[in-house]
Amino acid sequence: MKKLIISSVILFASFITNAQITKAELTATGLTCSMCSKATYKQLTSIPEVEKVETDLNKTAFLLHFKKGSTVNVGDLKQKVEDAGFSVGELVVVFDFNNQKAENNSSFTQDNITYTFIDSKPGVLTGEVKVKVLDKGFVTEKEYKKLQKLAKQYPSYAAESNNQYHIKLL
Amino acid sequence: MPQKVTTNTILNCFDMKKLFFVIIVFVSLKVKAQELFVFTEPASNMPGKSLGIRDMNAFMFEKDGQLNYHNMPELMWGINKKWMVHVQGFISNRQEGGLKAEGGSFYAKYRFLSKDDIQSHFRMAAYGRFSFNNADIHQQEIETMGHNTGFETGIIATQLLHKIAISSSLSYERALDNTSKHKFPESESNSAVNYTLSAGKLMLPKTYTSYKQTNMNLMLELLGQRLNGNGRSYLDIAPSVQFIINSQARVDIGYRQELYSTIKRTAPNGIVLKLEYTFFNVFK
Repeated sequence: MKKLIISSVILFASFITNAQITKAELTATGLTCSMCSKATYKQLTSIPEVEKVETDLNKTAFLLHFKKGSTVNVGDLKQKVEDAGFSVGELVVVFDFNNQKAENNSSFTQDNITYTFIDSKPGVLTGEVKVKVLDKGFVTEKEYKKLQKLAKQYPSYAAESNNQYHIKLL
Repeated sequence: MPQKVTTNTILNCFDMKKLFFVIIVFVSLKVKAQELFVFTEPASNMPGKSLGIRDMNAFMFEKDGQLNYHNMPELMWGINKKWMVHVQGFISNRQEGGLKAEGGSFYAKYRFLSKDDIQSHFRMAAYGRFSFNNADIHQQEIETMGHNTGFETGIIATQLLHKIAISSSLSYERALDNTSKHKFPESESNSAVNYTLSAGKLMLPKTYTSYKQTNMNLMLELLGQRLNGNGRSYLDIAPSVQFIINSQARVDIGYRQELYSTIKRTAPNGIVLKLEYTFFNVFK
């Protein structure tokens, strides 16, 4: 499996780009109560890169705005939600791209984190673009079970690494 | 010792059909659920890295007409998503000479299963409590919360669905000698199995707009015990109302009523008032 991952990394040699995460829409799962939601909110606001958090209490959704020029690792967001006692059901991240080439199985690296496009139409991305994170712990358990079969087509998907994420253009 | 109670007299004590009707009406109402139960703990933990303070006040009616007051201050720490611990003190006026500190307890809960989905979850946890108490042993009921020195260990399962939260627990409770002066009577059963069933629902607000809205929850809980040594048992019903203020403070008002009992208990019925406050993210 490791060989596969390494070869795929070489095959789709990723290149350093200029793609900033500016916002994230996070839906938390496993909760309905306002106290639970507030616990999650407090955790998310404690992330240094977060400028402000807007909430949709009925959907247990949080819109995070990040500080300009900050380095965001989406794994930190997941960790904070889990610290509050809940899970991430959906994470949509807004990238600010600058002529980013996108096609299935192509990757780019930003701040030492590699993002691989999955199930995405090819094109060149500029400006704010929404992508959905498909890795384990960023989707509901049911959805992850369906996504697991992607591992054949995208070998790195099974790696569950803390500095490699798989994203789908929305 | 109480006289032997037959099934008939149990049914006379409380009409079971009415009880089932109440429960069915309760679970069929279309609202969101809450699981911050008043008389039991859910399988979920308090948020990780947070600290909670709680003060439980129980006003229990002695069968001889006196009022028992128990005060149980509690400090709660959510260590991480899996572990939480409580330390608690027991103060009561049950003994001669007014309010006295009688003992304390240490409680730990470990959440070992968590299945989260959109506005629902299923969780299971294991817990243990060790308590000490210097008061006299005055009843057959075993209660390590403020009466007996001893320990309790059990499992909890909690299901939260959009419209209802149901939680159930099963535990083993063992009483030890309270002190060398107040030994546990050898003639009595020193261990018991406890079982609980709790349901909760959110009444207000209808739609969430801010964390500042006061939430109102209604709860209904069944609390039972069976003594292993002699097969005697009791079952209580405990309705309660709960207010959550600013998504951070909790005020619970509950009433506990014995449905039937073949166990000798001195003050099973009474009112419980619980106050709780959570400090989020105290620990980094």
